[in-house]
Amino acid sequence: MSQATIEKGINAFKEQIDAPVAAFFSSCVSCGMCAEACLFYTETGDPKYTPIHKLEPLRRVWEQEYTLTGKIKKLFGLTEAVTDRMLSEWQELLYDSCTMCARCSMVCPVGNDIAYMVRKAREGMVASGNAPEGVRMASTRAVRIGSPMGVKLTSLQAQIRHIEADTGLTIPIDVEGAEYMALLSSMEIMNFPEYIGGLAKIFAHAGISWTLCSTAFEATNSGIQIGSSDIARELVQRVVDGAERLKVRAVISPECGHAYTAIRWEGPNLVGRRFTFKVIHILELLDQLRASGRIRTEGLERECMTFHDPCSLVRKGGVIESPRNLMNMVTENFVELEEHGKWGWCCGGGGGVSSNEEAAGLRHKAFRRKKEQLEASGADALVTACANCRLVMEEGFEGYRVEMPILGLTELVADHLVTEEGSGEPPEKR
Amino acid sequence: MPIEVNGKTLETDEEGYLVNLSDWEPAVAEIMAKEDDLELNSEHWDIITFLREYYEEYQIAPAVRVLTKAVGKKLGKEKGNSKYLYALFPYGPGKQACRFAGLPKPTGCI
Repeated sequence: MSQATIEKGINAFKEQIDAPVAAFFSSCVSCGMCAEACLFYTETGDPKYTPIHKLEPLRRVWEQEYTLTGKIKKLFGLTEAVTDRMLSEWQELLYDSCTMCARCSMVCPVGNDIAYMVRKAREGMVASGNAPEGVRMASTRAVRIGSPMGVKLTSLQAQIRHIEADTGLTIPIDVEGAEYMALLSSMEIMNFPEYIGGLAKIFAHAGISWTLCSTAFEATNSGIQIGSSDIARELVQRVVDGAERLKVRAVISPECGHAYTAIRWEGPNLVGRRFTFKVIHILELLDQLRASGRIRTEGLERECMTFHDPCSLVRKGGVIESPRNLMNMVTENFVELEEHGKWGWCCGGGGGVSSNEEAAGLRHKAFRRKKEQLEASGADALVTACANCRLVMEEGFEGYRVEMPILGLTELVADHLVTEEGSGEPPEKR
Repeated sequence: MPIEVNGKTLETDEEGYLVNLSDWEPAVAEIMAKEDDLELNSEHWDIITFLREYYEEYQIAPAVRVLTKAVGKKLGKEKGNSKYLYALFPYGPGKQACRFAGLPKPTGCI
């Protein structure tokens, strides 16, 4: 990337101000309802964390450049310019205290998509050199190495050797003409390889042809998180190139929230054309296989279990019913959190927050919301479908001394597959 | 800041991690530990050795939770928990232990 300057930052803000952004700013009635929707406000009580306030630099540029009153104010020196100092102060507001969970967008009475604007404002922060170091380094690694954590193909191959030994199944790589190409998040590869084992078991059971891709196994997109369309585009393009090289019918987005937003919803816009393959989230696929009878499970978890909705997958991605159908397939005592589905509360670590060391203290405070919600549910175990949420919640539990196991939904389904072979008769329906 | 180990000057980055991973030898860990007012015992060495092997296999420095889980798998639950690991490496089992083991700074997901 070229040298970041305040001028480039202001220009990026200007470029990002499109018709929706202009309409949103001119519609805001300053009601403050977005504050109550934001866990960084509710858990600290500090008004600076009011979502719309986090957008003040972008709003100011909009007013000064694109409105008559703003232009007049600027002419007479009645409005302050957006400076580097201001942006460095706003770094905490646009990164540390925002997971782009979009709960604020849901409550806004005039329909302002605040999370959409935060995503755009971050472009100006990157261009002016005001993105946090942790997120910046993750983006650099994603571009250079192919993974925000620095996971190389050799790291994946080492992990695959263990999974194959544990499961007795083959993890296919670069199989041309496979029906599905599965993507993985770095955290799944290094810390939750049971997800990969789960995929292998489920696909063997359902008779599905699948493959990983040696040149595009990483699903996460640091460009989306940091706010750099250039990086985001490059990372999506790798997946597109990999999927087209292997001529797969569909790409499976893994149990990672923002990866799905990146590849499914922002992907084609970023690369500027339709994909030649479909994109499906693993939970959507499993739910389809459930409905069509291609996966058959047995036994139900007896413990009381609840589901944490990853924001990017559920509220932003629209995958709301699939996790619930799957939970009901394998548990007998599934309880919903009080606010769930599209109204779920974030774990506090999305949108790049978990990779931002400076945000650790604030993230811990914000997690109290989730913790209290979980305790009130009476659940014995927590299930989710995002490696990042899972890790953030494990850390949160440790900090608040909560003892509650956290499971991945795909693994849970894999653990309940009917195992007998060749009987020819379908097992009794449960 | 460079460190002196057995008469050799080894380059480190601004956070004290070795710049050239191949410079590592056991004395590096001893000297880095001394600077942190720690005396390494066999329990520290179990983790340092584990990290060296982990890096050899996966070519990645494990972040704290990845390390905790991997240690639990290999060395048992009583060692694979953060209480035990933080007691050994008070500055963070991910960062401090990786530094002693000559690995790069561990990184998390995004």
